[in-house]
Amino acid sequence: MNPSNYILLSAVLFSIGAIGVLVRRNAIIVFMSVELMLNAANLSFVTFARMNGNLDGQVVAFFVMVVAAAEVVIGLAIIVTIFRTRRSASIDEPSLLKY
Amino acid sequence: MNTGTFNPPEIDYLAIAPILIIFGTAVLSVLVEAFVGRTARRPVQLVLVIGSLLVALYFVISQAGTRTITANGALVIDGPALVLWGALLVLSLLGAMLMAERTLDPSGDVFAARAAALPGSEDERQFTQRGWVQTEVWPLFLFSVSGMLMFVAANDLLLMFVALEVMSLPLYLLAGMARRRRLLSQESALKYFLLGAFSSAFFLYGASLLYGFSGTVSLPGIAEAISAKPSQGPLLILGMALLVVGLLFKVGAVPFHQWTPDVYQGAPSAVTGFMAATVKIAAFGALLRVMYVAFGGIRWDWEPMLWVIAILTMFVGSIVALVQTDIKRMLAYSSIAQSGFIMLGVIAASAEGLSASLFYLIAYGFGTIGAFAVISMVRQSGGEATSLSAWAGLGRTSPVIGAVFAVFMLSLAGIPLTSGFVAKFGVFAAAIESGDTWLVIAAVVASIIAAFFYVRVIVLMYFSAPAKEPAVVAVPSAFTTIALAAGVTVTVVLGIIPQPLLELVANADVFLR
Amino acid sequence: MNEVIEPNLGETLVFWICGGLAVVGALGMVISRKAVHSALWIALTMINLAILYVANSAPFLGMVQVVVYTGAVMMLFLFVLMVVGVDSSDSLIETIKGQRVAALLLGVGLTIMLVAGLGAGLSGAGTIGLDAANAADGGNVQGLARLMFSDYIIAFQATGALLITAAVGAMVLTHREYWQPRKSQRELSQDRFTDGGHPGNKPSPGVYARHNAVDTPALLPDGSTSAISIPAPLRARDDARAIDVNDITNVRRLTEGESE
Repeated sequence: MNPSNYILLSAVLFSIGAIGVLVRRNAIIVFMSVELMLNAANLSFVTFARMNGNLDGQVVAFFVMVVAAAEVVIGLAIIVTIFRTRRSASIDEPSLLKY
Repeated sequence: MNTGTFNPPEIDYLAIAPILIIFGTAVLSVLVEAFVGRTARRPVQLVLVIGSLLVALYFVISQAGTRTITANGALVIDGPALVLWGALLVLSLLGAMLMAERTLDPSGDVFAARAAALPGSEDERQFTQRGWVQTEVWPLFLFSVSGMLMFVAANDLLLMFVALEVMSLPLYLLAGMARRRRLLSQESALKYFLLGAFSSAFFLYGASLLYGFSGTVSLPGIAEAISAKPSQGPLLILGMALLVVGLLFKVGAVPFHQWTPDVYQGAPSAVTGFMAATVKIAAFGALLRVMYVAFGGIRWDWEPMLWVIAILTMFVGSIVALVQTDIKRMLAYSSIAQSGFIMLGVIAASAEGLSASLFYLIAYGFGTIGAFAVISMVRQSGGEATSLSAWAGLGRTSPVIGAVFAVFMLSLAGIPLTSGFVAKFGVFAAAIESGDTWLVIAAVVASIIAAFFYVRVIVLMYFSAPAKEPAVVAVPSAFTTIALAAGVTVTVVLGIIPQPLLELVANADVFLR
Repeated sequence: MNEVIEPNLGETLVFWICGGLAVVGALGMVISRKAVHSALWIALTMINLAILYVANSAPFLGMVQVVVYTGAVMMLFLFVLMVVGVDSSDSLIETIKGQRVAALLLGVGLTIMLVAGLGAGLSGAGTIGLDAANAADGGNVQGLARLMFSDYIIAFQATGALLITAAVGAMVLTHREYWQPRKSQRELSQDRFTDGGHPGNKPSPGVYARHNAVDTPALLPDGSTSAISIPAPLRARDDARAIDVNDITNVRRLTEGESE
């Protein structure tokens, strides 16, 4: 088995994540889909590190995990804030920003 | 390599001093939040912010001639980086002035008294009444600026990714903290965040494919791999496309512009002005570096793609702006159209293209931040009057502000004797020189369409009867006045005597590899 | 250096099993109606990815993946889902008509483009393997550490900014402050007694309880019902259960000294 299979797997996961972002409307699920895309990129980095024979890809993947952790905190804080507002301040329209 | 020994990287601390100063002050200002009393925090933070920006600016100017790659090739300090640093620091200074304003709104500054208090709750009312201010915005602001500085000087894709996040995360938060119309503001923060995260995932996946192609994430390393390998193959092209999509999201190019109008409208005007000016500069700075340094060798592959996107961006931005009824949304589409024009400089892929883009970015930054300063001053029953109809007759009731706003509109439209004209002329000339004549013709048509909606605002201000509930211009404190004065002065001066800045950017027309 | 390392059968099996499960988890996440199910599906994907990292000679990252992603990130997601409400399926983002189909087509197009492009681009690509790179510093972790503190030291420092931003941001958006001093335990208990409130336990269905349901009021000796013996929310909703007339007369008779 060629390690490039891992790359194809990561491409599939990345695309599923992208579809999730575009199709789903729940902010939390959209956000999870973004996390899936980041994971797919990580798999690709790790596999390429092995194929290229240097560790840079693994370092990048490690940094991506740190970045993702920080991003998750901010994103979930924003989502929680909106949720609290929405529930207690009964907004009639689901969305205020329109085209 | 021998096991057990470690050679620490050599870092030219003087060369990267601006980043270190802003970063260090940001950390310091988090400590101020923890240890300084509530009433003293605001003045202390303001001194820190303005002081650190000025000191950083001093270091940028004092080493104008530095050209070096430091920290094992992670950061590159070259002409474009220094020019962009200078522009980013000055515009951040103006942005900080707008964010520090507290006399325009009778109830306090531009941010919610407590972002955690529920809109419309008793808590919120009490906090507002007591005049509490959310001083945590200042460390966030400084972190964002430090991210921008790193973003334009990053020489590898990993640092670029991290810097992109350092720049963006605080902005997502700041966008959601408006004092008025808080639901709109919070919703814009969510959209900005989700689409920003989506775009950075694209950036990252593109980076991974490029790493697979070249075995390195450093930009010069990728360029080397491109010239060394006989056939480029889909790995490189796909990686480049995804990476560029990630960056195009940040500059707001069509079809990746969906977040722009919502975020520009929802965020507090001061933050919008700051973000519209500086994020555009930082993102274009990074885009230019990636395109010129890493992909300079395959410009024939990426130019057609950017052609299409530039034309779409110019036309969609200009045409959709025509039908907007909200001034902030209109300026958002205007900024989209401007992205299209700046992309001409990217597509030119020449020294002239680079320096013309730098000039355009600076001219655009000052014009935009000034325009948003005016928007923050035009008010109606306590809040900002963002509906265009409220602006009718404003030029006659407040001649000075009307005239200042007209200058910004004319500059964005690219009328002679303003900075916008020199800027547009520069990128058009660079594009023609590189043989993109048809693109320039399209750009000229788009700028004529764009001129319509800029002039429409001027006509509305001067030749329409005042609205039933006309907006009034609130008297600002020194902060907004300075930002506004700086914006209009630079816009006019660059239009009349552009020579000094043109020479400056002409000296910074090459990326260090 | 350039010899191709042949992965063994074990790795092939691991790839197909874990890779398959990862894809199933990803699809499950996108398809699930409820956000909690999505979170559990994606946790499955992440654990399987951790195994694939280990199989891909990245043991350290495999561990970090388990600790950071499944351990911290997904738990945070679940935590927030609990706060927001497990059944939350409200739409927070604007969608345009026909957008779903267009998005699906776009996504499928992206999949085809990526898989076909990468499949073509990687056919015949050799694998160097990480044995030499790991051996240079005496191990995988040491090698990572060397890179992190040399070539990527600036990025390493910058992640500090990210983590501080995350902490400050979460606090700004969700930490609730009080505009008046909070009452101490002592003040709270004083309030309870001085305001003419009810100091002790509220009457529970006691001697004259005729039913053990929480919405059934206790009967007072004169046969009337005690309002405070049922929880306030039920009282507010007027949800107290009616008492059988026979019970009331029964109680009255008892208190008047008759035996039941």
